[in-house]
Amino acid sequence: MTVDMRVAVGAMELRGPVIAASGTFGYGTEVPLLERRALGGMISKGIFLRPRAGTPPPRIVETPSGMLNAIGLQGPGVDALIRDYAALWASWDFPVLVNINGESVSEYGDLAARLDGVPGVAGFEINISCPNVEQGGLYFGNDPRAAAAVTEAVRQHTNLPVWVKLTPMVTDIGVIARAVESAGADALCAVNTFVGMSIDLNANKPRLSFRTGGLSGPAIRPLALHLAHQAARAVRIPVVGVGGIMRTEDALEFLIAGCAAVQVGTATFVNPRAIAEIHDGIAAHLESRGLRSIADLPRYLPRD
Amino acid sequence: MFLLSAPITALREVARGMRVISIEAPDIASTVRAGQFVNLGLPGAFLRRPFSVYRVEGDRIEVVLKAVGVGTAALLSMRPGDAISCLGPLGHGFDLASGPQSIVLVSGGLGVAPMPLAAREAKANGMRVTWVHGARSRDELCSEAVGDDVIWATDDGSRGFTGNAVAAAPDGDLVIACGPNRMLAAVAKRWPDAQVAVETYMGCGTGVCLGCAVPLSRGGYDRACKEGPVYRAAAVEWSILPAHLPYAITA
Repeated sequence: MTVDMRVAVGAMELRGPVIAASGTFGYGTEVPLLERRALGGMISKGIFLRPRAGTPPPRIVETPSGMLNAIGLQGPGVDALIRDYAALWASWDFPVLVNINGESVSEYGDLAARLDGVPGVAGFEINISCPNVEQGGLYFGNDPRAAAAVTEAVRQHTNLPVWVKLTPMVTDIGVIARAVESAGADALCAVNTFVGMSIDLNANKPRLSFRTGGLSGPAIRPLALHLAHQAARAVRIPVVGVGGIMRTEDALEFLIAGCAAVQVGTATFVNPRAIAEIHDGIAAHLESRGLRSIADLPRYLPRD
Repeated sequence: MFLLSAPITALREVARGMRVISIEAPDIASTVRAGQFVNLGLPGAFLRRPFSVYRVEGDRIEVVLKAVGVGTAALLSMRPGDAISCLGPLGHGFDLASGPQSIVLVSGGLGVAPMPLAAREAKANGMRVTWVHGARSRDELCSEAVGDDVIWATDDGSRGFTGNAVAAAPDGDLVIACGPNRMLAAVAKRWPDAQVAVETYMGCGTGVCLGCAVPLSRGGYDRACKEGPVYRAAAVEWSILPAHLPYAITA
């Protein structure tokens, strides 16, 4: 029996439920050990209009069952992104969504306008949840009006799929989720990293130069799962689950808890083959239960 | 690049607290160049840890380490036959192409790590090899430094030159160095064209996470795991690269 692994995230059909998360996969060109057949899609490293140097080292530190990062959205700017990668993406057999970032609402709109219609750009993931930039980022993610304004600004400039990546650093993710849904988002990605901190006992100061960083890895998985589930309960648009997924079982938890697809991120650092192993593991799980497709997987999603 | 579940074949001590682990990794052994590294999955640690390849013997690669955190302590408690996840070879090694008549290898402490491979490659390319190795005291000197000349340096004067390896080193047509970033900054002052292997925290080892940022003197950052870990000494902005890496994890 061949299991049908296709999933729909809004109008976008993916050949598999596992997507490479932004910032853990570069621009898709530097993961030689990965079997690309397993990729449902890819979210490119977050981009701003202009080039950004990123934060000084140390940028990462290991913490119990996870890691803190403060990369600061280092990147070449949107023009170089289009010049160097878009044509390549257009030749791939899975969609690439571009993770877009701005310091103001209008910058998000400008990025969408610049990228809309570029062959190879299949959609957008609006990042309103990066904890590692001084301007914008998290600010847009924890104010429902700002989150909606950013989503509207992007929506006005494109008919491509618009996903919005939510921050966990809110008191009620449902409020933000509904605001973004009303503003025209096609899907939500829940959740980005949690803000954390670690102290160097020799230097008596934070280990990260940026003081704080985004916590990822299995340390956040139960928290992320709960928030993705809460978001899925709050809206009618699909939710893509992300946060600490290392293995097949973790991905299945997010799918059963109401997610249409999942993103795998930090796991790729530890195991460059994680995405393929999780994809194949989901297929094996479905087959072992006599299920013919992901759509047949039982879901636990009582509505709000 | 290969990802192997590789059995440990042997461990030996080469200085007080400094041990060499042999790992059977034929694909890596047959392709690795001096200055390249492997990312090892350590029991009890979450992220992989980078280790320069120390030597190659047939199908086996060797890495050298001290117990500095839970991961390295766990690695040192592994026994021959235990398997370890090994990703590599990674990074961009030393350029040891023929041409220079002489090469000076400067290593401080665990900075011995890339030097045996470099000495072998330089020798094969016709260079006279001088290896200057420094440590705090004589029992912390790696016993396996080799070359046409070997110069020892200790901070406490218990063996060889009193002072650090940089101060003890002669000039040569080519200088390569590895050790604490503070030492490499001193190398950069004396020999701007030296090739140095830097130390950074590392996330993925494959170029995607941008966690191993190395600040450049021309501005901006690049990646120790891809463009590095070997740099022209003057290309690195040493005032921004952390001089000390606290690797220990608190839980």
